[in-house]
Amino acid sequence: MPVTRLLYPLYQLGNPQLRIFRPNWFLTLVRPGKEQPPDTVQFRTPMEMTKYDIKNYLENIYNVPVGAVRTRIQFGSNKKRNHRNQKIKQPDYKVAYVQLAQGQTFSFPDVFPEKDKTPEEGSMEEMKQKYMEDEEQRQKLDPRRGGVTDWFGL
Amino acid sequence: MAASSSAGRVLTLCKQFQNVFRISSAINTKHCTATLTRCQPHLYRETSPLAALSWCSPVSAVSQCRALHTTVSRRGLDEFFDLPENWGEENVKSGAPWTAKHLRTKSNEDLHKLWYVLLKEKNMLLSLEQESRRQRLQMPSPERLKKVSRSMFRLETVVKERETALRLLQTGQEKGRPGAWRRNIFGYTYWYRYKEYAIPWYMNKRYKRKRFFTPKFVQPHIRLRLEKHLRGKAREASLQRGNRSKLKEKFPQMKVSAS
Repeated sequence: MPVTRLLYPLYQLGNPQLRIFRPNWFLTLVRPGKEQPPDTVQFRTPMEMTKYDIKNYLENIYNVPVGAVRTRIQFGSNKKRNHRNQKIKQPDYKVAYVQLAQGQTFSFPDVFPEKDKTPEEGSMEEMKQKYMEDEEQRQKLDPRRGGVTDWFGL
Repeated sequence: MAASSSAGRVLTLCKQFQNVFRISSAINTKHCTATLTRCQPHLYRETSPLAALSWCSPVSAVSQCRALHTTVSRRGLDEFFDLPENWGEENVKSGAPWTAKHLRTKSNEDLHKLWYVLLKEKNMLLSLEQESRRQRLQMPSPERLKKVSRSMFRLETVVKERETALRLLQTGQEKGRPGAWRRNIFGYTYWYRYKEYAIPWYMNKRYKRKRFFTPKFVQPHIRLRLEKHLRGKAREASLQRGNRSKLKEKFPQMKVSAS
């Protein structure tokens, strides 16, 4: 679903502040690769966003008090090659390190905790699991053969 | 507290609910959002399966939907993640995406609010996707991203439709951005869309290098290009004719579609 290129109005001294309705920018909160101070949150942002944009975005949409924002552009590698030996470019992206104000801290949570996968009694999943186990048991060879495959006679 | 996020979840992905309603604690597929606002947050958490059922049964028609109201969320950075109950799940239930037909029934304020709800949901899903790649695990229900993107795209089209309608009524202009038909150097005529500059065009050196006219020495090239195009068209037409005559030979009673 392509979005047509937006043209922002030209700014000259004395113009009113540009306001953007329905921003088309998406921030991705990422786990930091290197250890960051407790008040720093790491985001991947689109290349067109500036530090002020990120600050306003977080403050207005997420009500997060933002202290300082530092950005850098991460170069996406152009080294890999496909089966035709053409270079494949990984897209570039901007990384923003946002420091929260008012002494708030943030630690990246564990979003994939180990969950006990036993299905409850009488449910579809339990029946499916039982069926799969039975099938596997049927496919297995006689344990008295000691791991020898069926190819060998006797 | 969680209601706003669940409202968000519902809003983003609700359209019409299907028959069987296995409602997980977090996401319901529902039609009417008004009932959500009436429920207090803590009540919603506890009685979610039953409450949802009691909401859902009488509500089935579009006309019963009222204006959308969402509370200002106070969760901050937690909104970049799903509800904690869904962490580690393999499948997270979500409803159908918004259709343009459905969005056209909503007011402008509702669409504006919905845009931000969808935006936050998309941010959450992107963060989840990146984290799943980092942990080398599968993201639960990746189809949610497509649903949200399509809903946002349709919302944008609906808003654009309304803007064009208003512009046509008020000013009679069809296009929001002014433009003109221009010839470029190669002889092609195309719709050039105007761009804002701080200085007039005759002072703009880069603009003057673009040359919106076709020089005389390009005419032979244009002629050759035209000949090539006509030759290609003639070749295709004769190919079609040949195919049709061969088929007619083999199948004399064949009826050829008028093409």
